[in-house]
Amino acid sequence: MTTDPAFAERLQVAVARHVGAPGTLHDLARLTGGATKTTWAFDADIADRRETFILQATDVGTSPVADPLAGLTPHLTAEEDARVMIAAAACGVPAPNVRAVLDARDGIGPGVITERIAGETLGPKILRDPRFAPARAVLTGQCARVLAAIHRVDVRPLGFLRRLDAAAQLAAYRRVVDHYGYRLPALELAFRWIAEQIPRSSRHTLVHGDFRLGNLIVGDDGLRCVLDWEIAQTGDPMQDLGWICCRTWRFGGPLPVGGFGAREQLFATYEAAAGQTVDPRDVRFWEAFGNLKWAVMCLRKGLRWRDGTEPISIEQVAIGRRTEEPLWDFLDLIEGRD
Amino acid sequence: MPRSKPDADALLDAASKYLEQELLPTLTGYHRFRTRVTINVLATLRRELALADGHAAAERARLAALLGHDGTPEALNDELANRIRAGDVALDDAALRDHVRRSLAEALAINNPKWPRGNT
Repeated sequence: MTTDPAFAERLQVAVARHVGAPGTLHDLARLTGGATKTTWAFDADIADRRETFILQATDVGTSPVADPLAGLTPHLTAEEDARVMIAAAACGVPAPNVRAVLDARDGIGPGVITERIAGETLGPKILRDPRFAPARAVLTGQCARVLAAIHRVDVRPLGFLRRLDAAAQLAAYRRVVDHYGYRLPALELAFRWIAEQIPRSSRHTLVHGDFRLGNLIVGDDGLRCVLDWEIAQTGDPMQDLGWICCRTWRFGGPLPVGGFGAREQLFATYEAAAGQTVDPRDVRFWEAFGNLKWAVMCLRKGLRWRDGTEPISIEQVAIGRRTEEPLWDFLDLIEGRD
Repeated sequence: MPRSKPDADALLDAASKYLEQELLPTLTGYHRFRTRVTINVLATLRRELALADGHAAAERARLAALLGHDGTPEALNDELANRIRAGDVALDDAALRDHVRRSLAEALAINNPKWPRGNT
Protein backbone atom coordinates (compact mmCIF):
# COMPACT_ATOMS: atom_id res chain seq x y z
CA MET A 1 0.00 0.00 0.00
CA THR A 2 1.38 3.45 -0.85
CA THR A 3 2.06 5.85 1.96
CA ASP A 4 1.79 9.60 2.16
CA PRO A 5 5.38 11.01 2.00
CA ALA A 6 4.50 13.76 4.50
CA PHE A 7 3.35 11.05 6.95
CA ALA A 8 6.59 9.09 6.51
CA GLU A 9 8.60 12.26 7.09
CA ARG A 10 6.72 13.14 10.28
CA LEU A 11 7.06 9.55 11.53
CA GLN A 12 10.82 9.65 10.96
CA VAL A 13 11.11 12.87 12.98
CA ALA A 14 8.99 11.28 15.72
CA VAL A 15 11.16 8.14 15.79
CA ALA A 16 14.35 10.23 16.00
CA ARG A 17 12.84 12.31 18.77
CA HIS A 18 11.38 9.53 20.94
CA VAL A 19 13.42 6.41 20.14
CA GLY A 20 16.77 7.57 18.82
CA ALA A 21 18.55 9.35 15.94
CA PRO A 22 18.77 9.25 13.00
CA GLY A 23 15.44 7.39 12.77
CA THR A 24 15.76 6.82 9.03
CA LEU A 25 12.73 4.73 7.93
CA HIS A 26 12.72 1.61 5.77
CA ASP A 27 9.89 -0.53 4.41
CA LEU A 28 6.99 1.44 5.91
CA ALA A 29 3.85 -0.61 5.24
CA ARG A 30 0.26 -0.35 6.41
CA LEU A 31 -0.77 -3.71 7.85
CA THR A 32 -4.40 -3.18 8.82
CA GLY A 33 -6.82 -0.34 8.92
CA GLY A 34 -9.87 -0.51 11.10
CA ALA A 35 -12.62 1.83 12.16
CA THR A 36 -10.65 2.94 15.19
CA LYS A 37 -7.00 2.19 14.53
CA THR A 38 -4.41 1.68 11.83
CA THR A 39 -1.35 -0.53 12.24
CA TRP A 40 1.92 0.21 10.42
CA ALA A 41 5.11 -1.85 10.27
CA PHE A 42 8.49 -0.25 9.61
CA ASP A 43 12.22 -0.54 10.22
CA ALA A 44 14.27 2.41 11.43
CA ASP A 45 17.95 3.15 11.95
CA ILE A 46 18.57 3.82 15.64
CA ALA A 47 22.20 4.83 16.25
CA ASP A 48 24.09 2.25 14.17
CA ARG A 49 21.44 -0.51 14.32
CA ARG A 50 18.41 -1.22 12.19
CA GLU A 51 15.44 -2.09 14.41
CA THR A 52 11.92 -3.32 13.62
CA PHE A 53 8.83 -1.50 14.88
CA ILE A 54 5.04 -1.34 14.88
CA LEU A 55 3.08 1.91 15.01
CA GLN A 56 -0.45 1.65 16.22
CA ALA A 57 -2.19 4.89 15.31
CA THR A 58 -5.54 5.62 16.91
CA ASP A 59 -7.80 7.42 14.47
CA VAL A 60 -9.44 10.38 16.05
CA GLY A 61 -13.08 10.50 14.99
CA THR A 62 -13.41 11.95 11.52
CA SER A 63 -17.12 11.29 11.14
CA PRO A 64 -19.33 14.41 11.28
CA VAL A 65 -22.06 12.27 12.84
CA ALA A 66 -21.76 11.50 16.55
CA ASP A 67 -21.85 7.80 17.44
CA PRO A 68 -25.09 7.28 19.40
CA LEU A 69 -23.44 4.42 21.31
CA ALA A 70 -20.10 6.15 21.98
CA GLY A 71 -18.39 5.21 25.22
CA LEU A 72 -20.60 2.20 25.84
CA THR A 73 -17.69 -0.24 25.82
CA PRO A 74 -14.18 0.65 27.02
CA HIS A 75 -11.67 2.01 24.60
CA LEU A 76 -8.31 3.16 25.94
CA THR A 77 -6.44 6.15 24.56
CA ALA A 78 -3.01 5.48 23.05
CA GLU A 79 -1.32 6.68 26.23
CA GLU A 80 -3.52 4.53 28.51
CA ASP A 81 -2.96 1.55 26.21
CA ALA A 82 0.82 2.05 26.54
CA ARG A 83 0.58 2.33 30.33
CA VAL A 84 -1.33 -0.97 30.54
CA MET A 85 1.21 -2.74 28.28
CA ILE A 86 4.10 -1.41 30.37
CA ALA A 87 2.42 -2.51 33.62
CA ALA A 88 1.67 -5.96 32.16
CA ALA A 89 5.24 -6.39 30.87
CA ALA A 90 6.54 -5.51 34.35
CA CYS A 91 4.48 -8.47 35.67
CA GLY A 92 6.10 -10.88 33.22
CA VAL A 93 3.38 -10.75 30.55
CA PRO A 94 4.79 -10.90 27.00
CA ALA A 95 3.15 -7.59 26.02
CA PRO A 96 4.57 -5.42 23.21
CA ASN A 97 7.64 -3.51 24.35
CA VAL A 98 6.61 0.17 24.25
CA ARG A 99 9.29 2.45 22.77
CA ALA A 100 7.32 5.69 22.30
CA VAL A 101 3.97 7.33 22.89
CA LEU A 102 3.31 9.98 20.25
CA ASP A 103 2.25 13.44 21.35
CA ALA A 104 0.78 16.56 19.74
CA ARG A 105 4.23 17.79 18.58
CA ASP A 106 4.58 14.74 16.31
CA GLY A 107 1.61 15.80 14.17
CA ILE A 108 0.55 12.20 13.50
CA GLY A 109 -2.27 11.92 15.97
CA PRO A 110 -2.33 9.61 18.97
CA GLY A 111 -0.26 6.44 18.63
CA VAL A 112 2.16 4.02 20.25
CA ILE A 113 5.42 2.69 18.79
CA THR A 114 6.37 -0.81 19.95
CA GLU A 115 9.05 -3.31 18.98
CA ARG A 116 7.89 -5.70 16.26
CA ILE A 117 7.77 -9.39 17.22
CA ALA A 118 8.08 -12.00 14.46
CA GLY A 119 5.39 -14.68 14.32
CA GLU A 120 1.90 -15.59 13.20
CA THR A 121 -1.44 -14.17 14.37
CA LEU A 122 -3.90 -15.90 11.99
CA GLY A 123 -5.95 -18.46 13.96
CA PRO A 124 -6.53 -21.00 11.17
CA LYS A 125 -2.80 -21.03 10.33
CA ILE A 126 -1.70 -21.51 13.94
CA LEU A 127 -4.24 -24.36 14.29
CA ARG A 128 -3.51 -26.21 11.05
CA ASP A 129 0.00 -25.48 9.78
CA PRO A 130 2.32 -28.41 10.73
CA ARG A 131 5.00 -25.80 11.46
CA PHE A 132 3.05 -24.80 14.58
CA ALA A 133 2.54 -28.34 15.93
CA PRO A 134 5.22 -27.87 18.66
CA ALA A 135 3.68 -24.48 19.51
CA ARG A 136 0.18 -25.98 19.79
CA ALA A 137 1.53 -28.57 22.24
CA VAL A 138 2.63 -25.87 24.71
CA LEU A 139 0.14 -23.08 23.98
CA THR A 140 -2.54 -24.01 26.54
CA GLY A 141 -0.10 -23.98 29.44
CA GLN A 142 1.49 -20.76 28.20
CA CYS A 143 -1.89 -19.04 27.87
CA ALA A 144 -2.83 -20.17 31.39
CA ARG A 145 0.40 -18.79 32.90
CA VAL A 146 0.17 -15.52 30.94
CA LEU A 147 -3.46 -15.04 31.98
CA ALA A 148 -2.46 -15.64 35.61
CA ALA A 149 0.24 -12.95 35.20
CA ILE A 150 -2.23 -10.50 33.59
CA HIS A 151 -4.58 -11.03 36.52
CA ARG A 152 -1.74 -10.23 38.96
CA VAL A 153 -1.06 -6.75 37.54
CA ASP A 154 -1.50 -4.03 40.16
CA VAL A 155 -4.39 -1.94 38.81
CA ARG A 156 -4.12 0.84 41.39
CA PRO A 157 -1.84 3.02 39.23
CA LEU A 158 -4.17 2.37 36.27
CA GLY A 159 -7.10 4.36 37.61
CA PHE A 160 -8.42 5.12 34.13
CA LEU A 161 -9.50 1.48 33.63
CA ARG A 162 -13.23 1.01 33.72
CA ARG A 163 -14.63 -1.39 36.27
CA LEU A 164 -16.96 -3.65 34.33
CA ASP A 165 -18.70 -6.44 36.12
CA ALA A 166 -21.10 -8.77 34.33
CA ALA A 167 -24.17 -6.68 35.15
CA ALA A 168 -22.62 -3.45 33.83
CA GLN A 169 -21.60 -5.12 30.59
CA LEU A 170 -24.99 -6.72 30.21
CA ALA A 171 -26.65 -3.30 30.55
CA ALA A 172 -24.35 -1.91 27.83
CA TYR A 173 -25.21 -4.74 25.42
CA ARG A 174 -28.89 -4.30 26.25
CA ARG A 175 -28.61 -0.68 25.10
CA VAL A 176 -27.05 -1.75 21.79
CA VAL A 177 -29.88 -4.17 21.05
CA ASP A 178 -32.54 -1.63 22.02
CA HIS A 179 -30.85 1.11 20.00
CA TYR A 180 -31.24 -1.00 16.86
CA GLY A 181 -34.75 -2.11 17.86
CA TYR A 182 -33.80 -5.75 17.34
CA ARG A 183 -36.23 -8.35 18.71
CA LEU A 184 -35.01 -11.92 18.69
CA PRO A 185 -36.28 -14.59 21.12
CA ALA A 186 -32.89 -16.37 21.17
CA LEU A 187 -31.18 -13.13 22.18
CA GLU A 188 -33.78 -12.36 24.88
CA LEU A 189 -33.39 -15.87 26.25
CA ALA A 190 -29.62 -15.33 26.45
CA PHE A 191 -29.98 -11.93 28.16
CA ARG A 192 -32.27 -13.37 30.82
CA TRP A 193 -30.24 -16.52 31.38
CA ILE A 194 -27.08 -14.46 31.85
CA ALA A 195 -28.77 -12.01 34.22
CA GLU A 196 -29.99 -14.93 36.35
CA GLN A 197 -26.67 -16.80 36.40
CA ILE A 198 -24.16 -14.05 37.29
CA PRO A 199 -21.69 -15.55 39.82
CA ARG A 200 -22.35 -14.19 43.29
CA SER A 201 -18.76 -13.37 44.05
CA SER A 202 -15.60 -12.99 42.07
CA ARG A 203 -12.07 -11.65 42.28
CA HIS A 204 -11.48 -8.23 40.85
CA THR A 205 -8.42 -7.87 38.61
CA LEU A 206 -7.10 -6.50 35.35
CA VAL A 207 -8.98 -8.17 32.47
CA HIS A 208 -7.47 -8.16 28.97
CA GLY A 209 -10.92 -8.41 27.42
CA ASP A 210 -9.95 -9.91 24.04
CA PHE A 211 -7.45 -12.70 24.82
CA ARG A 212 -7.76 -15.17 21.90
CA LEU A 213 -6.08 -16.32 18.69
CA GLY A 214 -5.92 -13.35 16.35
CA ASN A 215 -4.57 -11.20 19.18
CA LEU A 216 -1.66 -13.50 20.09
CA ILE A 217 1.64 -13.67 18.22
CA VAL A 218 2.67 -17.32 18.04
CA GLY A 219 6.05 -18.59 16.85
CA ASP A 220 7.28 -22.13 16.20
CA ASP A 221 8.14 -22.25 19.90
CA GLY A 222 4.76 -21.02 21.18
CA LEU A 223 3.27 -17.80 22.55
CA ARG A 224 5.48 -14.77 21.97
CA CYS A 225 3.30 -11.72 22.50
CA VAL A 226 -0.17 -10.65 23.64
CA LEU A 227 -1.60 -7.83 21.49
CA ASP A 228 -4.65 -5.57 21.47
CA TRP A 229 -4.90 -4.15 24.95
CA GLU A 230 -7.21 -1.28 24.06
CA ILE A 231 -10.34 -2.75 25.62
CA ALA A 232 -8.58 -3.71 28.87
CA GLN A 233 -10.77 -3.22 31.93
CA THR A 234 -11.07 -4.44 35.50
CA GLY A 235 -13.51 -7.14 36.53
CA ASP A 236 -13.84 -10.89 36.99
CA PRO A 237 -10.65 -12.57 35.67
CA MET A 238 -12.69 -15.65 34.69
CA GLN A 239 -14.01 -13.52 31.82
CA ASP A 240 -10.67 -13.97 30.00
CA LEU A 241 -10.75 -17.77 30.50
CA GLY A 242 -14.31 -18.02 29.19
CA TRP A 243 -13.71 -15.80 26.15
CA ILE A 244 -10.88 -17.93 24.73
CA CYS A 245 -13.17 -20.99 24.98
CA CYS A 246 -15.94 -19.46 22.83
CA ARG A 247 -16.41 -21.56 19.70
CA THR A 248 -16.01 -18.52 17.45
CA TRP A 249 -12.41 -18.19 18.66
CA ARG A 250 -11.63 -21.87 18.03
CA PHE A 251 -11.49 -21.11 14.30
CA GLY A 252 -12.75 -24.61 13.51
CA GLY A 253 -10.17 -26.29 15.75
CA PRO A 254 -11.32 -29.43 17.59
CA LEU A 255 -10.52 -28.50 21.20
CA PRO A 256 -12.40 -26.07 23.47
CA VAL A 257 -9.54 -23.74 24.48
CA GLY A 258 -8.90 -21.63 21.39
CA GLY A 259 -9.29 -24.73 19.20
CA PHE A 260 -6.02 -26.15 20.57
CA GLY A 261 -6.38 -27.06 24.24
CA ALA A 262 -8.40 -28.81 26.96
CA ARG A 263 -10.28 -26.82 29.60
CA GLU A 264 -8.92 -29.06 32.37
CA GLN A 265 -5.33 -28.22 31.42
CA LEU A 266 -6.07 -24.49 31.17
CA PHE A 267 -7.68 -24.48 34.60
CA ALA A 268 -5.06 -26.66 36.34
CA THR A 269 -2.12 -24.65 35.00
CA TYR A 270 -3.88 -21.37 35.79
CA GLU A 271 -4.61 -22.52 39.35
CA ALA A 272 -0.97 -23.49 39.89
CA ALA A 273 0.32 -20.21 38.43
CA ALA A 274 -2.23 -17.89 40.05
CA GLY A 275 -2.56 -19.65 43.40
CA GLN A 276 -6.34 -19.30 42.97
CA THR A 277 -9.01 -21.92 42.41
CA VAL A 278 -10.96 -21.94 39.19
CA ASP A 279 -14.61 -22.93 39.41
CA PRO A 280 -15.41 -24.43 35.98
CA ARG A 281 -19.01 -23.22 36.38
CA ASP A 282 -17.81 -19.61 36.52
CA VAL A 283 -15.75 -20.06 33.35
CA ARG A 284 -18.77 -21.67 31.72
CA PHE A 285 -20.84 -18.64 32.68
CA TRP A 286 -18.29 -16.34 31.04
CA GLU A 287 -18.15 -18.52 27.94
CA ALA A 288 -21.94 -18.23 27.66
CA PHE A 289 -21.56 -14.50 28.33
CA GLY A 290 -18.92 -14.33 25.58
CA ASN A 291 -21.36 -15.89 23.14
CA LEU A 292 -23.97 -13.26 23.98
CA LYS A 293 -21.35 -10.53 23.71
CA TRP A 294 -20.19 -11.73 20.28
CA ALA A 295 -23.79 -11.98 19.07
CA VAL A 296 -24.37 -8.33 20.06
CA MET A 297 -21.05 -7.31 18.51
CA CYS A 298 -22.03 -8.99 15.21
CA LEU A 299 -25.38 -7.23 15.32
CA ARG A 300 -23.72 -3.89 15.92
CA LYS A 301 -21.16 -4.35 13.16
CA GLY A 302 -23.93 -5.29 10.76
CA LEU A 303 -26.19 -2.36 11.58
CA ARG A 304 -23.74 0.40 12.47
CA TRP A 305 -23.96 2.00 9.01
CA ARG A 306 -27.55 2.95 9.89
CA ASP A 307 -26.19 5.42 12.46
CA GLY A 308 -24.46 7.34 9.66
CA THR A 309 -21.12 7.21 11.47
CA GLU A 310 -19.51 5.01 8.83
CA PRO A 311 -20.35 3.94 5.28
CA ILE A 312 -21.95 0.55 4.71
CA SER A 313 -19.30 -2.10 4.06
CA ILE A 314 -19.51 -5.64 2.69
CA GLU A 315 -17.29 -6.98 5.45
CA GLN A 316 -19.38 -5.47 8.24
CA VAL A 317 -22.79 -6.52 6.87
CA ALA A 318 -21.44 -10.05 6.37
CA ILE A 319 -20.40 -10.13 10.05
CA GLY A 320 -23.93 -8.96 10.91
CA ARG A 321 -25.23 -12.21 9.46
CA ARG A 322 -23.08 -14.15 11.95
CA THR A 323 -25.29 -13.12 14.90
CA GLU A 324 -26.98 -16.53 15.15
CA GLU A 325 -23.72 -18.51 15.31
CA PRO A 326 -22.86 -17.64 18.94
CA LEU A 327 -26.54 -17.85 19.93
CA TRP A 328 -26.57 -21.44 18.65
CA ASP A 329 -23.41 -22.09 20.68
CA PHE A 330 -25.03 -20.42 23.69
CA LEU A 331 -27.94 -22.85 23.54
CA ASP A 332 -25.57 -25.82 23.14
CA LEU A 333 -23.60 -24.61 26.14
CA ILE A 334 -26.54 -24.15 28.52
CA GLU A 335 -28.03 -27.49 27.40
CA GLY A 336 -24.71 -29.29 27.91
CA ARG A 337 -24.42 -30.24 24.25
CA ASP A 338 -21.06 -28.56 23.62
CA MET B 1 -44.03 -11.74 -7.45
CA PRO B 2 -42.07 -10.49 -10.45
CA ARG B 3 -42.22 -12.91 -13.37
CA SER B 4 -39.25 -11.58 -15.33
CA LYS B 5 -36.79 -14.16 -16.60
CA PRO B 6 -34.07 -15.07 -15.89
CA ASP B 7 -35.10 -15.09 -12.23
CA ALA B 8 -33.21 -13.62 -9.27
CA ASP B 9 -31.41 -16.87 -8.51
CA ALA B 10 -30.02 -17.04 -12.05
CA LEU B 11 -28.83 -13.42 -11.90
CA LEU B 12 -27.08 -14.04 -8.58
CA ASP B 13 -25.60 -17.29 -9.90
CA ALA B 14 -24.16 -15.48 -12.93
CA ALA B 15 -22.83 -12.61 -10.79
CA SER B 16 -21.08 -14.92 -8.35
CA LYS B 17 -19.63 -17.11 -11.11
CA TYR B 18 -18.11 -14.00 -12.72
CA LEU B 19 -16.66 -12.85 -9.38
CA GLU B 20 -15.34 -16.25 -8.39
CA GLN B 21 -14.09 -17.66 -11.68
CA GLU B 22 -12.97 -14.56 -13.60
CA LEU B 23 -12.33 -11.69 -11.20
CA LEU B 24 -11.00 -13.44 -8.07
CA PRO B 25 -7.96 -15.08 -9.75
CA THR B 26 -6.74 -11.63 -10.83
CA LEU B 27 -6.87 -10.15 -7.30
CA THR B 28 -4.60 -10.12 -4.27
CA GLY B 29 -4.70 -8.72 -0.75
CA TYR B 30 -7.49 -6.35 0.25
CA HIS B 31 -9.59 -6.70 -2.92
CA ARG B 32 -9.24 -10.48 -3.00
CA PHE B 33 -10.51 -10.67 0.58
CA ARG B 34 -13.41 -8.29 -0.05
CA THR B 35 -14.41 -10.08 -3.24
CA ARG B 36 -14.37 -13.40 -1.39
CA VAL B 37 -16.71 -11.88 1.23
CA THR B 38 -18.96 -10.56 -1.57
CA ILE B 39 -19.20 -14.03 -3.14
CA ASN B 40 -20.21 -15.44 0.26
CA VAL B 41 -22.85 -12.73 0.68
CA LEU B 42 -24.35 -13.57 -2.75
CA ALA B 43 -24.50 -17.25 -1.75
CA THR B 44 -26.33 -16.24 1.46
CA LEU B 45 -28.79 -14.23 -0.61
CA ARG B 46 -29.48 -17.21 -2.91
CA ARG B 47 -30.16 -19.47 0.08
CA GLU B 48 -32.44 -16.82 1.56
CA LEU B 49 -34.45 -16.56 -1.67
CA ALA B 50 -34.85 -20.34 -1.74
CA LEU B 51 -35.66 -20.90 1.94
CA ALA B 52 -37.20 -17.77 3.47
CA ASP B 53 -40.85 -18.40 2.51
CA GLY B 54 -40.83 -21.91 3.94
CA HIS B 55 -39.12 -20.72 7.11
CA ALA B 56 -41.62 -17.87 7.59
CA ALA B 57 -44.58 -20.27 7.33
CA ALA B 58 -43.03 -22.76 9.76
CA GLU B 59 -42.06 -20.00 12.18
CA ARG B 60 -45.55 -18.52 12.12
CA ALA B 61 -47.14 -21.91 12.87
CA ARG B 62 -44.75 -22.52 15.79
CA LEU B 63 -45.28 -19.03 17.20
CA ALA B 64 -49.05 -19.23 16.90
CA ALA B 65 -49.03 -22.55 18.81
CA LEU B 66 -46.67 -21.12 21.45
CA LEU B 67 -48.57 -17.86 21.95
CA GLY B 68 -52.08 -19.21 21.47
CA HIS B 69 -53.10 -16.82 18.68
CA ASP B 70 -52.23 -16.04 15.06
CA GLY B 71 -50.65 -12.96 13.52
CA THR B 72 -47.88 -11.93 11.12
CA PRO B 73 -44.53 -13.69 11.78
CA GLU B 74 -43.00 -10.31 12.68
CA ALA B 75 -45.70 -9.39 15.22
CA LEU B 76 -45.64 -12.87 16.78
CA ASN B 77 -41.84 -12.85 16.94
CA ASP B 78 -41.78 -9.47 18.68
CA GLU B 79 -44.46 -10.59 21.10
CA LEU B 80 -42.49 -13.69 22.09
CA ALA B 81 -39.27 -11.66 22.45
CA ASN B 82 -41.09 -9.18 24.69
CA ARG B 83 -42.63 -11.96 26.78
CA ILE B 84 -39.25 -13.59 27.35
CA ARG B 85 -37.78 -10.23 28.29
CA ALA B 86 -40.61 -9.47 30.70
CA GLY B 87 -40.11 -12.82 32.43
CA ASP B 88 -43.54 -14.16 31.35
CA VAL B 89 -42.07 -17.38 29.93
CA ALA B 90 -39.91 -19.89 31.82
CA LEU B 91 -36.47 -20.10 30.20
CA ASP B 92 -36.46 -23.90 30.41
CA ASP B 93 -39.93 -24.24 28.82
CA ALA B 94 -39.53 -27.12 26.34
CA ALA B 95 -41.72 -25.53 23.64
CA LEU B 96 -39.79 -22.26 23.91
CA ARG B 97 -36.43 -24.02 23.67
CA ASP B 98 -37.66 -26.02 20.68
CA HIS B 99 -38.84 -22.88 18.89
CA VAL B 100 -35.63 -20.96 19.58
CA ARG B 101 -33.48 -23.91 18.47
CA ARG B 102 -35.46 -24.33 15.23
CA SER B 103 -35.43 -20.59 14.49
CA LEU B 104 -31.66 -20.47 14.91
CA ALA B 105 -31.29 -23.57 12.72
CA GLU B 106 -33.39 -21.90 10.01
CA ALA B 107 -31.38 -18.68 10.15
CA LEU B 108 -28.11 -20.62 10.03
CA ALA B 109 -29.36 -22.70 7.07
CA ILE B 110 -29.30 -19.34 5.24
CA ASN B 111 -26.38 -17.52 6.86
CA ASN B 112 -23.88 -20.31 7.53
CA PRO B 113 -25.18 -23.87 6.93
CA LYS B 114 -21.94 -25.45 8.18
CA TRP B 115 -22.16 -23.92 11.68
CA PRO B 116 -24.70 -26.28 13.37
CA ARG B 117 -22.82 -29.33 12.10
CA GLY B 118 -19.77 -28.08 13.91
CA ASN B 119 -17.36 -28.18 10.99
CA THR B 120 -16.54 -24.53 10.57
